[in-house]
Amino acid sequence: MRELTAAVLENVRIAENIYSLTFATEEAVPVLPGQFCMVGVAGYPLRRPLAVCKAEGERVTVCYQVKGGGTKSLVGYKQGHRLSVLLPLGNGFSLTPDMKRVAVVGGGVGVFPLISAIRAYAGEREISAYMGFRNRAAVCLRYEMQRADKLVIATDDGSEGYRGTAVQAFMEDIERAKPDVVLSCGPTPMLRALKNAVSGRNIPVYVSLEERMGCGIGACLVCVCDKKDGTHARVCRDGPVFEIGEVEI
Amino acid sequence: MVDLHVNICGVELKNPVIPASGTFGFGREFDELYDISLLGAVATKGLTREPRLGNPTPRIAESRGVILNAVGLQNPGVEHFIEHDLDWLRRKTRVIANVAGATLEDYAAICRRLDGLVDFIELNISCPNVKCGGMAFGIRPEDVKEVTHVSKQALKNTPLIVKLSPNAANISENARAAEAGGADCISLINTLTGMAIDIERRRPVLANNTGGVSGAGIKPVAVRMVYEAAHAVKIPVIGMGGITCAEDALEFLMAGASAVQVGTQNFTDTLACPKIIAGLETWCDGHGVGRVRDLVGALKIN
Repeated sequence: MRELTAAVLENVRIAENIYSLTFATEEAVPVLPGQFCMVGVAGYPLRRPLAVCKAEGERVTVCYQVKGGGTKSLVGYKQGHRLSVLLPLGNGFSLTPDMKRVAVVGGGVGVFPLISAIRAYAGEREISAYMGFRNRAAVCLRYEMQRADKLVIATDDGSEGYRGTAVQAFMEDIERAKPDVVLSCGPTPMLRALKNAVSGRNIPVYVSLEERMGCGIGACLVCVCDKKDGTHARVCRDGPVFEIGEVEI
Repeated sequence: MVDLHVNICGVELKNPVIPASGTFGFGREFDELYDISLLGAVATKGLTREPRLGNPTPRIAESRGVILNAVGLQNPGVEHFIEHDLDWLRRKTRVIANVAGATLEDYAAICRRLDGLVDFIELNISCPNVKCGGMAFGIRPEDVKEVTHVSKQALKNTPLIVKLSPNAANISENARAAEAGGADCISLINTLTGMAIDIERRRPVLANNTGGVSGAGIKPVAVRMVYEAAHAVKIPVIGMGGITCAEDALEFLMAGASAVQVGTQNFTDTLACPKIIAGLETWCDGHGVGRVRDLVGALKIN
């Protein structure tokens, strides 16, 4: 992890309340799929933890949902604006070579870290992606999602693709997809549904968790999650990716 | 070139800048970003006799210019710290072990355990006293004096810092109570109790409902309290509360603090402490100040 100064290259709206921010760091930093960064917003003491969608050399793209004052300010950051960025953070997804068939199940803003996994594994593994959104207006990053060998877009209201949730779409296709591993990120109810749906199937499931963070590097113990063994794990440092059976969801 | 050394209770610090307890763990993570041996000292994450899991999440919230936290003293326990982190940290810089308890016996026991092993012990007295209906030790002067006295009795070799809570009727009185109880030094301010509300959910943001407020927005309150406390006691004072830059640190030194702690700013900028050290140097050199310790209490009141 490095404390970096970056310059905004592009900051554009890609769906309702969703923006894609690309910045250039002083030097290339290797980023693993599923890792994240902390981005400083002037006037706000806490940085925003944002999943990396794409990292190519010095160019890093993150996506964010406008939720509060901080992300609203971030929308105003135009090309050339200086950013303070901590990068790369967290463990990221890591697949073993035998995991050839990969299912990717994402919901809402949980799609963002999964984009980095699709980009990293496309071409070398068979990827089936099931991405859930509220409605058609919320669908974003189509071009990136289409790198998967198979893509099912699910919307709650059926305004695009499959009517229902990403987990439902995945379970309808699971016998065809026959995944060796599942990568997922999304709202807690979605992760719970996924956990129940695949239990007993003996497929490893890796989930990327979200939590309000302080330092982002593992020092402050703000962003903990409950582990099965009764202890706590730090989402920022020990995660954000966990084997689904390892943590209480 | 300015001499940044300060001496607190006979212990020399290479400079007066110390990351505050709870924002810096035991230093290992920040040491991946810069060599923490350049710090004057490190105040550890609050330690208790037994490991503690802390509060449910969310444990952090943000409001204009400040944050609120309710971590609830999650820590691996004092034995784990001694076994895994202490030697490593001592090789880096001076160690201030921040300790907490729920009873007077807890404080005495943890002080006895750490006596002689660390450079300072800093008492967190903002914890609820289970024998006093949960009222924090740090609120009433008689309780401040008692917890200080009990802790001091358990220490033969290590100087005792009492970290004062700002949630008190009269900070000068509590500073004097700590001094009367045998404190070798006081540090202040700990966080102010606050609440932030998520209006969509009509619930507090923090799972714990309330939390400790820290960050730039509390600085004027902190400077005033450091000024009052420093002028109420003869023992040295460590100042903190909303320090973001060298200029902020200088305010605390002039108000009477011999050293400063930096907390929330470590989240905003992981390099905050080294930048403040460099900034102190630049400011002192630019203002003909040969020794930073000459600025302590240099304030002239109007």
